[in-house]
Amino acid sequence: MADTTISQEDFLKFREFFYRKTGIHFDDSKRYFVDKRLIERIVATESVTFRSYFVMLRFETSGEELQALTNLMTVNETYFFREEYQFKCLVNTLLPEIITSKKEGQLLRIWSVPSSSGEEAYSIAIYLLEYWPGINHWDVEIISSDIDTKILAQARNGDYSARSVEKLPAYFLEKYFRRKGDAYQISDDLKQAVEFTKVNLMKPEDVRPYRGFDIIFCRNLLIYFDDLSRRTAADTFFDALNPGGFLCLGHSESMSRISSLYQTRKFADSVVYQKSKEAQ
Amino acid sequence: MKRILIVDDAATVRMYHRIILEGAGYQVLEAINGIEAMEKALQEPFDLYVVDINMPKQDGYGFLSDLRSRDLPQTPALMISTEAAAADRTRAYAAGANLYLVKPVKPDELLVHCRLLLGEVHP
Amino acid sequence: MPLIKQHISKSIEQDQRKRERDCTSLELQLSDPSSAARRWAARDLISCPEATGALVLQLQQEDDSSVREIILTTLTQLGDELAVASLVGYLRSEDVALRNEAIEAMKLLPDEVAPIMGKLLIDPDPDVRISAVNILESLRHRQVEEWLTKVIEEDPHVNVCATAVDLLGEVGTTSAQEALEKLKTRFPDEPYISFAADLALKRIRST
Repeated sequence: MADTTISQEDFLKFREFFYRKTGIHFDDSKRYFVDKRLIERIVATESVTFRSYFVMLRFETSGEELQALTNLMTVNETYFFREEYQFKCLVNTLLPEIITSKKEGQLLRIWSVPSSSGEEAYSIAIYLLEYWPGINHWDVEIISSDIDTKILAQARNGDYSARSVEKLPAYFLEKYFRRKGDAYQISDDLKQAVEFTKVNLMKPEDVRPYRGFDIIFCRNLLIYFDDLSRRTAADTFFDALNPGGFLCLGHSESMSRISSLYQTRKFADSVVYQKSKEAQ
Repeated sequence: MKRILIVDDAATVRMYHRIILEGAGYQVLEAINGIEAMEKALQEPFDLYVVDINMPKQDGYGFLSDLRSRDLPQTPALMISTEAAAADRTRAYAAGANLYLVKPVKPDELLVHCRLLLGEVHP
Repeated sequence: MPLIKQHISKSIEQDQRKRERDCTSLELQLSDPSSAARRWAARDLISCPEATGALVLQLQQEDDSSVREIILTTLTQLGDELAVASLVGYLRSEDVALRNEAIEAMKLLPDEVAPIMGKLLIDPDPDVRISAVNILESLRHRQVEEWLTKVIEEDPHVNVCATAVDLLGEVGTTSAQEALEKLKTRFPDEPYISFAADLALKRIRST
């Protein structure tokens, strides 16, 4: 299969299709990166030529190949403080705006989906404790959910590799983790601060109890869903949010490919999506 | 260099408009629908929007109404659509369009209307 | 620590006890004064295959776009004949947003939409034909190229052809070449058509 080549026109055609589907645009400078991954999938699917692969990609009913390819074209790993600009936005802008419409003593609620092995939810907890002065006046509840019970158990357990925590300042490692050989375990205090639950976003009966959230993080998940599933998930989040609540997606994701329910807001560090304050 | 945002769901239309406008010395960016256009409009300033009407998720009317209701510079907008009825023009102007053209447009027609809205020529 | 847990698992149990939701009461809730209640009813009706009629009826009078989006999602998931028939009706709507939502929903229903596609593509209203071509963009169906070729060979309306040729640039094969060449002579005074046809031809020939 070494002779599989991607012509300039193939590249342009693919680039348009992928942009339409995912919102990710590849510059000409990414040509080598894109070709290499396309060829990898062409070989893996035994498609022989770009043309036959592209036909399969476009017309395959399950959408599985598009998912496999998107996986390859994006970096999907979780680690502490990934896409930190959004946590900055959380403490500098989103929470201050949320509390303007809260009464003293009311609870703030944050939902992080998918939990994966817990890095995002614990990062939020650390960020609030370290960088949000409001934490002294307001109670915050952090819930994190995933469809996979094995990964939820891992998240509750809170064991992490050195690589997973490498973005954290040493001071945080000392304060919030216990060293276990080469690995790190999150402190009991933080484990107590986050609730991990099993949820299938596609099941109305699963998601119905999830209401009254002020902020939802759903990063780097919807981009791997098919059109109908990502829309269903966005609809679900809409009802899980309080009026005026915010939804944060991953940096390569855009609501423009998903749903028209939300208002787009831009803050210094981030684009986020808001449920209108007037919405019920 | 003046910056123009082309908002259209059809890739070929975006490319056609881009070639004409870049050829005339403008910098061109693209968006696939109203929501993506708003994401871009909030992140960087433009001198002109060239906007289609029929697009998925958010159409051109929705984008312009949203744009005009926000605290943003009132950048001119040229609406270009397949819809030729008088009611569509009226609705476009009501949503905040400054000029209206019916597709398909000829290169000169696009350029002259863009220049008009950019204040480079006068009627 | 001010980070607290309320144990959502408890509220999950309470929620399940509180809500015994049968199809008839869900259909009634579609006209509840609260839009949140209407959205939940529309969402839960996914487990009621008989609910299409009630959803279609509500969609006709629903003016909250957030409820409309969820009704359309459920209709797409139900995807029966009645759902498709109502979506076809919205292709004629004066409401651009609703029309585009119907197009998006129909893209996701290849098996149901394919049998009526031939008819939609020769509808007397050019706007309906443009919508039909737009549906083909994401319709996962074998006949897409054949339909598009026929459009650029026969459709008298320049914008219907323009929409079709845009898509042929992506899905066209050598069998569309002749029709693309001919299209340029059908609209010799339209630079856009020449541009789009040439682009499609270049892409077809380069593979």
